[in-house]
Amino acid sequence: MTARVIDRAAELEQIRARQRRHPGHPLRRAFLYFVLAATSIVMIGPFYWALATSFKPAGDVFASPPKWLPNPWILENYKDVFTLFHFQRYFVNSVIVTGSIVALNIVFDTAAAYAFAKLRFPGRNFLFFMLLITLMVPFQVNLIPLFRIMVLLHKITPHLGVDTYSGMIMPGMIQVFGIFLMRQFLTSIPDEVLESARVDGASEFKILRSIVFPIAAPGMATLAIFTFLGAWNDFLWPLIVISSDDMYTMPVGLALLQTKNMMNWGNTMAGTCVTAAPMILVFLALQRRFIEGLTAGAVKG
Amino acid sequence: MLPAYVLVAPAILASLVFLYIPMIFSGYWSFTKYNGLAPAEWVGLANYTELFRDPEFIKALWNTVLFVLFGMGIGPLLGLFTALLLNQKVRFRAFFRTAYFLPVMTSLVVVATIWKILLNEHGIINQILGVFGVPALGWLGSTTAALPAVAVTSIWQGFGFETVVFLAALQAIPRDYYDAAKVDGATYRQQLRHVTLPGLRPTIMFVYIIGIIGSFQVFDQIFVMTNGGPINSTRTIVFDLYDRFYSLQLGEASAVAYVLLVILATLSFIQIRLFEGTR
Repeated sequence: MTARVIDRAAELEQIRARQRRHPGHPLRRAFLYFVLAATSIVMIGPFYWALATSFKPAGDVFASPPKWLPNPWILENYKDVFTLFHFQRYFVNSVIVTGSIVALNIVFDTAAAYAFAKLRFPGRNFLFFMLLITLMVPFQVNLIPLFRIMVLLHKITPHLGVDTYSGMIMPGMIQVFGIFLMRQFLTSIPDEVLESARVDGASEFKILRSIVFPIAAPGMATLAIFTFLGAWNDFLWPLIVISSDDMYTMPVGLALLQTKNMMNWGNTMAGTCVTAAPMILVFLALQRRFIEGLTAGAVKG
Repeated sequence: MLPAYVLVAPAILASLVFLYIPMIFSGYWSFTKYNGLAPAEWVGLANYTELFRDPEFIKALWNTVLFVLFGMGIGPLLGLFTALLLNQKVRFRAFFRTAYFLPVMTSLVVVATIWKILLNEHGIINQILGVFGVPALGWLGSTTAALPAVAVTSIWQGFGFETVVFLAALQAIPRDYYDAAKVDGATYRQQLRHVTLPGLRPTIMFVYIIGIIGSFQVFDQIFVMTNGGPINSTRTIVFDLYDRFYSLQLGEASAVAYVLLVILATLSFIQIRLFEGTR
């Protein structure tokens, strides 16, 4: 028996050594890199084309043969995007709305998740079940009543509801999936740690601040990332709840620019690049966290 | 006990006001004629029976199903294929992974706008196809090509997510399984069939269910690229809902919302059943 295991181990070592020396047939390797390079061009090409077009004068946009590099280079399209349209304002709006939604979710989702994971109280399982069941309900089902609620709020006080930041932020202030995800993270905190803190006379809020939050930090980073993505790229809800130009978020501004400005592709592509840039920069800076966060979200879900 | 209720209160209140109450009202309005101005008037099942006789809604249902079939037929396979490519000894793996993943992070409005210019009758795609003798086509203006064009855009935008999820799942398959298979003389294809695919089963199911549920809700691309046209050839369920909302047919729009709810709740239910089966 032992001899057979050793035999197998030796055989395996040979196989591995062979593979180290020949990592596949050279033709196969060449084909692999060819496919990878070709697909990468298909993935990055469209972004490049948008960027190049944003620097072209109107007459060059559909030039034949295509102009792979803008010649001449012009900056008028970007000037238009910040003067005729107000992408700087849309950017600020997107930052305010997304920032608020991320902050609210981190606080409220984590707080609720902690209670569901680590505290005992009557109705806990029932309440958690009632939250979970809403995961089956797509947002669009609630769209019209939500809009009516926002109209009503706006009638009560003009600072709330339709066409305000609060109207865009409020429906996103918690996410059931966020609570679910944070609960998965928080159940890993040993009960004994919490118990000994309680014995030492710490209040629940003190425990939350000094024990739970530090341990939950990686989970909160994941939560922050997918909330950020969802809120920044959200389109349907802001499109419906906002009606004035100076409240648009970037995706809404970009989509509605095209209905006002049908044929000016240079402007449209400049708007596209300005809209895409913040997310692409954040992603490139925090790439590993993004990919890990999203796959963790996916796998835990 | 008190702190627990304080901690869950914001979540419970928000879910009541922004999830449960809207859901109930949406359900109630689906049985009424309602335009948001005059009080809602009870009409029983009339909205539903009218919807299923309305060619626009039937078209929207059919287009959505086609969109889901098209996207799910190609997207996950492309994700699996690219994940298998990247799961080998590859130089610049991080670069390729970033390339596939970049559109996933990007707003659908941005992606749709970029593809609108690529797919333009005089656009770069037609110019490249022209080199191979394919005649230029106004993709988004054609009743037959518009829906596939929007679907291709969506696949391009989304498959990188599947690449990354599959790649993570592939790397979680223990190396010993492959070693054992190699010792037994299994070829690459046999390893794929008997080690890789069984190991990926839960991930494959996850990817399809999430993908199908997401695809049924397609809206942003449609709004930007075709606005439902030409002649309703890209009208989808959510676009139909949006259109009825804007023409103040709030009763009918609510009925559309509930049809969508029934479809997606059924899919979620199947998902839960399937996942219980794998555990």
